[in-house]
Amino acid sequence: MSLLDVRGIEVVYHRAATAVQGITLDVPAGRIVALLGPNGAGKTTTLRAISGFLDADDARVTDGDVIFDGVTVTGWLPHRLVRRGLVLVPEREKIFETLTVVENLQACRRGGDLEAVFPHFPGLADRRRQLAGYLSGGERQMLALGSALLCQPRLLLVDELSLGLAPIVVRALMEAVRRLRDELGLTILLVEQNAAAALEIADHGYVIENGRIVHEGSAAALLAHDDVREFYLGGARSRAGRTYRDVKQYRRHRRWFA
Amino acid sequence: MQAVAGVVVLASLYVLLGVGYVLVYRASRVLNLAQGDLMMVGGYALFATVTTVSASPFIAVPLALAVGAAVGVLVYALLMRPMAGHPVFAAVLVTVSLGILLRVAVVLVYTDQTRYPLPAMDLSNPPVRLPGGAAVSALDVVTVASAAALLGGLFAFLRLSRLGIRMRAAAERPLLAAQRGIDFHALFALSWALASFAGALAGVLYASNVRLDPSLGILGLKAFAVALVGGLDSLGGLVAGALIVATVEVLTIRHVNPLLSDVSPFLCLLLMLLVRPWGLWGTREELERV
Amino acid sequence: MAYGSGYFKTTYEADMALVDTRLRRLALATLIVGLAVLPRVASPFVLELVTQTALAAVGALALNMLTGLAGQISLGHAGFLCAGAFTVGILTESVKAPPLVTLPAAAVVGGLLGLVVGVPSLRLKGLYLALGTLAMHFVVLYVASEYQARWGFNTGVSVPAPTVAGVRFRSGVQWYYVLVAFAMLTTFLSVNLGRSRVGRAWMAIHDREIAAASLGIAVARYKLLAFVASSVLTALAGALWAYYRSFVSVEAFSFVVTIEFIAMIVIGGMGSTLGALLGAGFVTLLPYGIDAVVGALAPGGAAPYWLFPLKFGAFGLLMALFLVFEPLGLVGIWRRARTWVVLWPLRYAPLRTVR
Repeated sequence: MSLLDVRGIEVVYHRAATAVQGITLDVPAGRIVALLGPNGAGKTTTLRAISGFLDADDARVTDGDVIFDGVTVTGWLPHRLVRRGLVLVPEREKIFETLTVVENLQACRRGGDLEAVFPHFPGLADRRRQLAGYLSGGERQMLALGSALLCQPRLLLVDELSLGLAPIVVRALMEAVRRLRDELGLTILLVEQNAAAALEIADHGYVIENGRIVHEGSAAALLAHDDVREFYLGGARSRAGRTYRDVKQYRRHRRWFA
Repeated sequence: MQAVAGVVVLASLYVLLGVGYVLVYRASRVLNLAQGDLMMVGGYALFATVTTVSASPFIAVPLALAVGAAVGVLVYALLMRPMAGHPVFAAVLVTVSLGILLRVAVVLVYTDQTRYPLPAMDLSNPPVRLPGGAAVSALDVVTVASAAALLGGLFAFLRLSRLGIRMRAAAERPLLAAQRGIDFHALFALSWALASFAGALAGVLYASNVRLDPSLGILGLKAFAVALVGGLDSLGGLVAGALIVATVEVLTIRHVNPLLSDVSPFLCLLLMLLVRPWGLWGTREELERV
Repeated sequence: MAYGSGYFKTTYEADMALVDTRLRRLALATLIVGLAVLPRVASPFVLELVTQTALAAVGALALNMLTGLAGQISLGHAGFLCAGAFTVGILTESVKAPPLVTLPAAAVVGGLLGLVVGVPSLRLKGLYLALGTLAMHFVVLYVASEYQARWGFNTGVSVPAPTVAGVRFRSGVQWYYVLVAFAMLTTFLSVNLGRSRVGRAWMAIHDREIAAASLGIAVARYKLLAFVASSVLTALAGALWAYYRSFVSVEAFSFVVTIEFIAMIVIGGMGSTLGALLGAGFVTLLPYGIDAVVGALAPGGAAPYWLFPLKFGAFGLLMALFLVFEPLGLVGIWRRARTWVVLWPLRYAPLRTVR
């Protein structure tokens, strides 16, 4: 049963530039779904369309609907969505830098027990009274996730969790996200450029390019797919049947548009 | 001693006015250049309630303050909220227009004749003798006490209460606050209400202590320089700035030239801008990112 | 910039020409001829209005260079006007200097003051810079008022009509030609500056200072240049104002005057020469317009006491309305109207910035 149902949305910036078109996603409850794609594909735009953040950039959802738990929430204001349990962890500007760690956690409207957050994110507990602006990159992400947790979400949208972080930190963060699904039954939509890290913990995945969904499948299927491996996972194409012409004029082989 | 008393009283007035600047700047990064006119509106609200509703100070004063706060909310809802996405400079100009409109509205209703609400309330302003031979008026003492109480209350509110934390969060990053379920428009309106309340309080006290006329707004500009000296987003800095500027001003009146005293807050401001632009306790402006 | 099809440029000269299409050349010629001939057909009152607008236009253009193009917010505009005017007043009164001395002197004083005000701009940005200029405004006014209190009459300093090359500039028509010519020269300067290296550097600094610096633009030099250019022009405008009015007084240069000029470029449209001109016209003519409307509705009798606050209030209200609803100003409205006409029946114009 799907918690989030995105049906064919189209987002237009400044009434002139179509950023994404015909995006259809389905996020089942209690699962981690990954949204993969290169820079500028429209992943962040999709997330913002779902979580109601487009007005600031003069962007509008001009077609399609977003249905969260059976209710159509297209164009709802962010804090209404938070009250329903749809929480976004944004890509940049994800914590309040002039507040301490504890104050960051207290800022969320829903409240709840602060102490319950710390076991999920080791390392934060020691830095309770420190100004959030002085935290390292990985700690900031943990704080961002933690404060999102305190909003008592049913669906967590995470934008570029791994951006700018060392691989070992990324692994720890992805583990934390997986634990959120396993221990708390949280549903998570993960937008990631780091496809390998995302597909390790995801159940299902979508690939978006140039504003359209071009491929989807279970995580295992995506990991095995030739094109995904070539374009996102660094795998090499099979060597059989390559002619001089193939090598000389390498063209991106769009099997999924065949 | 008299000089010290004068400094404290003047600094308290600056603090009452400056609180408005600091609150609004922290909330929306906007300089509310109409703060002085909000003070004037508070004074005239007192005059209006005294002449129309009730001459009892226990009714007129709270009513005037409530009107002041309400004006703040209205200003936010009608003028500042639509300016949310626009550049800050434009928002500041809107506050300038607001100041003009407030002044014009008051002059249209009350002309620019000087008014004195205190006698209308059947109260007097007797002098109070202080140790050391200084003398201040009773309302001067009330001004100092009000400033202290307001500052203390605000400090506690912003640092300790949950609502205060949320206000600070919304002031820093409104979008993120929205993502955490905080209705930042409501909190900004609250900031404006508090700022306007503080201005109205200053207006009520000044109108009763000295006089009431439409040119009161000029004091707002001087308080503005004070807020800048202290650091536009710091309440603690405001106190320090107020004391420093008040000292300079009182000394200038006594020993140099009374006309120069009006300019002295701006001289202090100039000096501060050259040496330490973000004020005594303000936060440094963020680096621009390429 | 030409729009619509049918105009093709085939040489660099044609591309860089200030007035490129035949229609525009015709329009400009008509404007010049019209302005030259106006004194023959218009009443002295109308001439006076145009003269005032021309003088305001110079101030608005100067402010537009500083705030609109270079993005340096200045709240001290009235201070520069005052400096120019008082230089003329002081020199004429104390040493009886002729205009050929006082005008350059006013320009120099204005430039020096611009330099002084501009130096903080190297460290301060945005609102802090605006406040520095505001503080400077008060200091300048204080100095001027001290002079006025000691050596002028109590209300101001009188300035006799200037004599240049034997011609005494006294009549309204003479001043009309002088000031309109001054305004046209300033417009020409403003448009060309906008298209030149200097203008592009200013716009780059306005947009993103660090990026401009990393492109090799000497940010400090261009910022100071913006302040000096603006202040020299404004001081000259103030100097001419002093001669035009034959009287100089501190009260005429209050903070409200600065607000009026800022309103001119805001209502007109920031960063655009046409905007500064439109805004100057709008703000200068607004009080007269209100007078006319009130006079038509309630003819005869002395002006009621609420007329002045009403004019002031209308000005504030209009500024607020423009800021909230039409941030691109009159120029924005003009461009939207023009785009609508050109594109009809299609609807959307391509994305473009104000300039």
